[in-house]
Amino acid sequence: MKRYWYIWFTMTKRITQVAFASRLGVIFFTLGKLIRFLLFLFFLLLIMQNTKADAGFTTWQIILFFITFNIVDVLSQFLLREVYRFREYVVSGNFDHILLKPISPLFRSLFGGSDILDFVTLIPLVGFLVFTVTKLDPVSILQIIFYVLLLCNSLIIAISLHIFVLALGVITTEVDNAVWLIRDITQLGRVPVDIYKSTMRTLLTFVLPVAALVTIPTKALLGIVSIEGVLLAVVFSAVLLTLSLLSWQYALKQYASASS
Amino acid sequence: MRRYVQIAKNTWDETFTYRFSFITYRIRNILQILTVYYLWTFFIPQNTTFLGYTQSQMLTYILATMIVSSVVMATRSQAIGNDINQGNLSSFLLKPMNYFGYWFARDIGDKAVNLLFSIAELTLLFMLLHPPFFMQTNPFFLVSAILSISLGTILYFYFSVLMGCFGFWSNEIWGPRFVFYQLLSFFAGSLFPLDILPKNLYAVIEYLPFSYLLYFPIKIYLGDLSILMIIKGLLITGFWIGVMHLLVSRVWNKGLRIYTAYGR
Repeated sequence: MKRYWYIWFTMTKRITQVAFASRLGVIFFTLGKLIRFLLFLFFLLLIMQNTKADAGFTTWQIILFFITFNIVDVLSQFLLREVYRFREYVVSGNFDHILLKPISPLFRSLFGGSDILDFVTLIPLVGFLVFTVTKLDPVSILQIIFYVLLLCNSLIIAISLHIFVLALGVITTEVDNAVWLIRDITQLGRVPVDIYKSTMRTLLTFVLPVAALVTIPTKALLGIVSIEGVLLAVVFSAVLLTLSLLSWQYALKQYASASS
Repeated sequence: MRRYVQIAKNTWDETFTYRFSFITYRIRNILQILTVYYLWTFFIPQNTTFLGYTQSQMLTYILATMIVSSVVMATRSQAIGNDINQGNLSSFLLKPMNYFGYWFARDIGDKAVNLLFSIAELTLLFMLLHPPFFMQTNPFFLVSAILSISLGTILYFYFSVLMGCFGFWSNEIWGPRFVFYQLLSFFAGSLFPLDILPKNLYAVIEYLPFSYLLYFPIKIYLGDLSILMIIKGLLITGFWIGVMHLLVSRVWNKGLRIYTAYGR
């Protein structure tokens, strides 16, 4: 465990040094993320101020869903940035080197260099989260604990989805659009799934993990989550993690090292 | 001319080389539209209006953005910056062909694929969702919308080339493009029609080039603009194309002077 922690820290430190070698890039990246967040927030506020259809949520509650989506999104990008570089390893044959080293190739492919720039954007997000919570009805410690635990559960779901992408990458050598597809699916969680029509809502709750990723943790913080909802999120992450690990094992057996 | 047609054809073929990637890209496209579509279906219940828009008008606008953006904003020219950074530009400069013509031909090939699949996906969405959709039958509005889309395509190409020119001065080409695209996409009207914005803000946006990429052609299609407003909008688009042409030429020539084929 200590060795893996050291490997993660060392690789993240090196990736950070590379990122900060181009300061202009750091500025533009952070600025771009901030602009994207603010523009969608503006869009949500514009809608909420001019509509009577609110699915029973106040404006600040809707904002809370949006912030939670961003936290899950940014946190998974921060930890799993290496997945975006995975295709290069497979097509260049460098994945062979990863397989030969005495560490888990899955660990190396998932966590082989976290992106500090995403961590930077996480700080104002958490600040805004705290500010939004102060605008809501008083929140108990228990609600906060449930929220944090369910966010951890969301992270397991995100990791599982990224493992699926890695498995696909080994088999098809195509990763880029698959990882963006996951991000587009999770973007459906920028608002509570309650606002979608019944068929779509069912799809996002029981087939795609959008409700488990964002809606259920946020509802836990608001104190309106049901025990069924919590169970659903936990079962979802357990099933996804198991299936993704099986798919990774299957993909490794298919790997032909054709590029090396 | 024949060589540019061949380049466009090659781009078409190239798109289908990585089929899995292409399919996931198309699914992403549908998802992005569905997200905004469902948002508006919820926030504008039937028989109500939202800042002057009925549900039918808003959904037509959102679905139309899918088609218009597949033509106007589909591009391959984002690779120009990489060409400069990696020194690949040198081989293009030696070839008997216009570099911008090459990328425009590639864009045309890309747009053709995107348009074809967007129409197919839109048909599928129609069959599944039965959305209330406004069909424009007036030939004047249809022709004007097509003209506006064509001008928007040229305008967007210039933006993309200009972003690529960053490569002459910096290796960091992705960052500026990312920021620019966020702003452009919002102010082009990809999420909502821009005239629901506060009047003062809309008055400024009207004179910026972004709204002429998506919002303006779709508003023409919807028949919401008078002939005078259409002419004014087309003239503003033409003005921005002229400005961008001069700007891109100037920046490109300045860039070529400092280009060192670094990376080759």
